[in-house]
Amino acid sequence: MTEGTLCNKIPVNTIEKLQALLTDKRGQVYYKEMKQLEVDTPALVKILQNTLKSRLKTWLKICVHCGLCADSCFFYLANNKDPRQVPSYKIQSTLGELVKRKGNVDNEFMRMAMDIAWGKCTCCNRCVMYCPFGIDIGVMFSYLRGLCFSQGFVPWEMKIGSGMHRIYQAQMDITSEDWVDTCDWMAEESEDDWPGLKIPMDKMNADIIYTVNAREPKYYPEDLTQAAILFHLAGENWTVPSEGWEETSLAMFAGDWEGCKLQVEAVYAAMERLKARRMVVTECGHAYRATVIEGPYWAGLKSGKTPIESFHYIEWVAEALRTGKLKIDPAKKIKEPVTYQDSCNYIRNAGLKEAAREVMSYIAEDFREMEPHGEHNFCCGGGGGLNGIGRYRKQRNAGLKVKRDQILATGAKLVISPCHNCWDAIRDLEEVFKIGIRWSFLKPILINMVVVPEHLKPKDE
Amino acid sequence: MGTKILLASTASPACDDAARVAFDLAKRYNANLTILHVIGIPVRGFSNTVIDIRTGEEVVCDDDYIEWVKEELRSIYSIQIEQYKNCIMESVPGVPHREILRFARKNNTDLIVMGTGAKKECIETAGYTRYVSGSTMQAVAKAARCPVLIIGRPAASFWGGISKIVFGTDFSKAADSAFMFALNIARKIGCRLYIFHAINILPFDSEKIQLQDEIEDKIKAAKEKIRKKYVTRMKDFKNYNIDVWEGVPYVEIVKFARENYSDLIVMAHHARDSDLNKTRLGSTIEQVVLRASCPVISVNHPDKIGDL
Repeated sequence: MTEGTLCNKIPVNTIEKLQALLTDKRGQVYYKEMKQLEVDTPALVKILQNTLKSRLKTWLKICVHCGLCADSCFFYLANNKDPRQVPSYKIQSTLGELVKRKGNVDNEFMRMAMDIAWGKCTCCNRCVMYCPFGIDIGVMFSYLRGLCFSQGFVPWEMKIGSGMHRIYQAQMDITSEDWVDTCDWMAEESEDDWPGLKIPMDKMNADIIYTVNAREPKYYPEDLTQAAILFHLAGENWTVPSEGWEETSLAMFAGDWEGCKLQVEAVYAAMERLKARRMVVTECGHAYRATVIEGPYWAGLKSGKTPIESFHYIEWVAEALRTGKLKIDPAKKIKEPVTYQDSCNYIRNAGLKEAAREVMSYIAEDFREMEPHGEHNFCCGGGGGLNGIGRYRKQRNAGLKVKRDQILATGAKLVISPCHNCWDAIRDLEEVFKIGIRWSFLKPILINMVVVPEHLKPKDE
Repeated sequence: MGTKILLASTASPACDDAARVAFDLAKRYNANLTILHVIGIPVRGFSNTVIDIRTGEEVVCDDDYIEWVKEELRSIYSIQIEQYKNCIMESVPGVPHREILRFARKNNTDLIVMGTGAKKECIETAGYTRYVSGSTMQAVAKAARCPVLIIGRPAASFWGGISKIVFGTDFSKAADSAFMFALNIARKIGCRLYIFHAINILPFDSEKIQLQDEIEDKIKAAKEKIRKKYVTRMKDFKNYNIDVWEGVPYVEIVKFARENYSDLIVMAHHARDSDLNKTRLGSTIEQVVLRASCPVISVNHPDKIGDL
């Protein structure tokens, strides 16, 4: 069996292996080795027998190729309605074919499947809304990614991401010590401006356990400070866990099912250990989907729910503004036209569109919806891990056109985007097309407009 | 002995003056000098791709690249390194102010030296301005626990050749630390300390145009405050002046420093980010740094004021 030193069927479980992958610039050796990687058909057959259940089998069978999904796919629209971008074609020619051939496929087929599973689908699940049979092609692509991963056919960055989760229980190389130290640091940095502000670590029985995206402590810990300030102003009894603080899951994007399970179990263990009343996650879409929507099933929780009630940040903000825990200074509301990027992962796939509208009604005077919006909104163009994969940069940039046109049509120059992935895609969209827009998470916007109670203001002599 | 100086460098000619001062200082104190260059701003999601601060180009930031950048740094500063060998090169990806602060905190740095030349356009293209109000310099000066020496324009004179220090105060708590630092230096070097305050007379800061009598009363009160707040803490140190002028604070302090041939301005930069958003010009310190003909040092915290 031909296995590469970097590209192989074994997930990354050690720092040494991770380092070896990271030093392979842009995955050059990795992708070269992939061309030689042999397909283990018996293993593929076995995994199909164990995991391809009636739902997916039915979906594959009942598709009548009506093509109603075509116009729902932003890739199809962005690529001049190329028939090869029709969702049903994309899944039938990959997963459908693989099942039909009973796993009897070659290296070339698997590489083609990989290029479609990651480069032509962001698992945004929009097409299911338009399928008369309710066939969820996004879910099937997630499944196909799992098959590809098991055979070692996975984009370089995704293999690294899955390895990060397995080693650090985080999508980046942040250890528990790094995390705890960053929290101390951010509390220390804000003590002058926000007297009494703390980032409580491992506090038992808090009302809220707050979890984040590893990129925040890694590159912009200000985000953590901003979350702390808003909890502080709202008078919340909150805490962060020293372990199990990371909510995201590149393992999910990679199709690393075992890694997915390990990751959410770390978060659930923190929930149970600290006995918080509820969990709030930072402004990240896929983190919410992974931990709150999909995670309970990965972890085998029969209830299908997280151990404690879980909220997306947008829900907490809506609640805080509704109940008056946070108050907006009316003079500071956003005056200019502003639009909102509905993240597929917590809007379409979790139904939180009302919370987003409620927040916008409190903070903006001229809120403009994208068309379509809510659960019908288009993917930002960078979901499903696509933003970070160099191999598909061209395809990703071409797909951004749809979001560009949606934003331009609103006339707004400011896009609120409470999702790391969407935020990135819109950032890149501006870099590619230069349409003169700004984009922001909610926290920095809120910090500038909330009323600070007199007793929480710094006392300067 | 064991003094740690950090030169935050953009690895471009914009930092030449800052580099000269940093090496000069390191030599004088036999300090451990670290030259830190923040390579670029992470982009493309979770990948290890960054936008190079200098070129604005997309690069893969792996160990090889970091080594290469360090080598570049060594060649840029080769002349200085030849004369002063106790220095190391460091290079990391990230948002510049954040990584400078992270490094200083981790290594217990005693003094940060930086220019004002960070390419703001590049940082803006990368879309990270939301984290920073104003420049990298402002963000570092605000949050650093140690003094931050900012070299805005080619300085006429350098450390050691200092004979006059201007301490500009707004009477804040942070200014207390700046004062103690200025006093320590003045004592050590034996130079004159000018304690200076500017009464802001801009109409939008006060309700109406102020009468001259009012301004003069304020000047009198400010002088009294200086005596109470600072002079009482100077004990036997007599080599000082007290001056209070009226005008636009950053203009007045720059004028005052120029007229007195000052070699160093010491002040605290502690404006809140949300306040900075309101002013078009940014903070007083930013304007002072850009305009003053001598170096400016920002001190906000008491942690490191006795260590130099």
